[in-house]
Amino acid sequence: MNIKDIAAWQLASAYLLLILPLAVILWYRVPILGRTALAVLRMTAQLVFVGLYLQVIFELNNLWLNLAWLSVMVLVADVSVARSCGLRLTRIALPLFAALLLGTAAPMLIFTGLILRCESVMDAQYAIPIGGMILGNCLRADIVGIRTFYNSIRTSEKSFHNSLAQGALLQEAVRPFITEACESALAPAVATMATIGLVSLPGMMTGVILGGASPFTAIKYQIAIMIAIFSGTSVTVALGIRLTMRSAFDHYGLLKESIFKDSGN
Amino acid sequence: MAGSDDIALLAKDMSLAFDTGAVLEDFSLEVSAGQKILMTGPSGCGKSTLLKCFLGLAVPKSGSIAVSGQPLTPATVWSLRTRIAYVMQEPDLGRGTVRQIVERPFHYHANAHLLHSVERLNELIDLFGLGIDLLDKNVSKLSGGEKQRIALIVAIMLDRPILLLDEPTSALDAQSRKTLSRYLQSRTDLTALVVTHDTDCFTFADNIVNLKAHVAGEAK
Repeated sequence: MNIKDIAAWQLASAYLLLILPLAVILWYRVPILGRTALAVLRMTAQLVFVGLYLQVIFELNNLWLNLAWLSVMVLVADVSVARSCGLRLTRIALPLFAALLLGTAAPMLIFTGLILRCESVMDAQYAIPIGGMILGNCLRADIVGIRTFYNSIRTSEKSFHNSLAQGALLQEAVRPFITEACESALAPAVATMATIGLVSLPGMMTGVILGGASPFTAIKYQIAIMIAIFSGTSVTVALGIRLTMRSAFDHYGLLKESIFKDSGN
Repeated sequence: MAGSDDIALLAKDMSLAFDTGAVLEDFSLEVSAGQKILMTGPSGCGKSTLLKCFLGLAVPKSGSIAVSGQPLTPATVWSLRTRIAYVMQEPDLGRGTVRQIVERPFHYHANAHLLHSVERLNELIDLFGLGIDLLDKNVSKLSGGEKQRIALIVAIMLDRPILLLDEPTSALDAQSRKTLSRYLQSRTDLTALVVTHDTDCFTFADNIVNLKAHVAGEAK
């Protein structure tokens, strides 16, 4: 590995950079000083923990341990999406978990198996960072997509009921709302693809270059991960909506108010 | 009493509760095929919700509902909805151009056999005093009256045996009120249940049902 390691005292000097945002916060009396301090502490503790844990996982490189780690990541994403969408966890946790798992696993396995031709598709060095990148991006898009879907139906109840009254099956009545949700969820990824490399150097490419690879190898990784992320995002949003619908609508095709956390039921 | 096959709409011992605190209790209604019934009553007494109940868009606390002699259940609701056309109060037509909105229901699986009805669009647009150029307009730009007429046109094109209308004349001009009135009067085969405060527009109605007697609580 050609990358330079960072000694502990060198890393400590990185914290000196925090003087700049702290100065801004204090000077303008931005009321987030406590939250900022807590966030920095949490970031440090979480990343130290993840670093230690991943070190062990990479050394062991055990299929079941890798699967378990990915499942934990999906579970955390599952809870985070449900909470951020304002939906009741108990109603949608299971179908959403399935959607996230399938939507993340499919592009990740294609990436490690077909594109990188890894000996094992679940090789920790590749499967975990790639799976994590796909899932992290799916999470943001799923929150936008699923929240847009359910909130649109809730606020446009008359239009939705009108479609049902006109003889639409549930799948037909929700179609315009799925279209709107997918557009909201996928538009940022499309915009990112359209400007990548011009506005900023993307994360994976930067990582590969820092790892000592040539820029050309780095862009190949970046292109592949962008496509994998976009695939994962589209699948998890569409599947997330379709699978959660089973518990969100009643037998008459009506949206259950009890699915919303603020319903009071 | 009409046989069950002749009864287009039936509500039996129905009770509904509303956010206002008002309650509609022990309400029963029987509408025979071809009848035109008006429904009146104070605001908030559940007239609109009652219409929704026949479509399975609201579920009563108790009692039963039947459409065309068939009980309304989760298993039958999807096919029974295809026997009813419904125009809601202040309709929300969705998003898109008027043409897209008008044509959309005919792409639903249940209405695929009615695609030829779209050919009547120009005639109905003319009948309700709307211009053809309106079809390319975005529905968000329409006035309340235009939306109401478009909703009525779609309901007519769907060619259902039962028509549920919720305050259909609230945003209509005199000419359109007359057109609607004449249309309903001419369709002797059509069953219509009309929630309205405008009873003068439907002088030909077979009966007027006032919900006031069935309401307890805060309805005004």
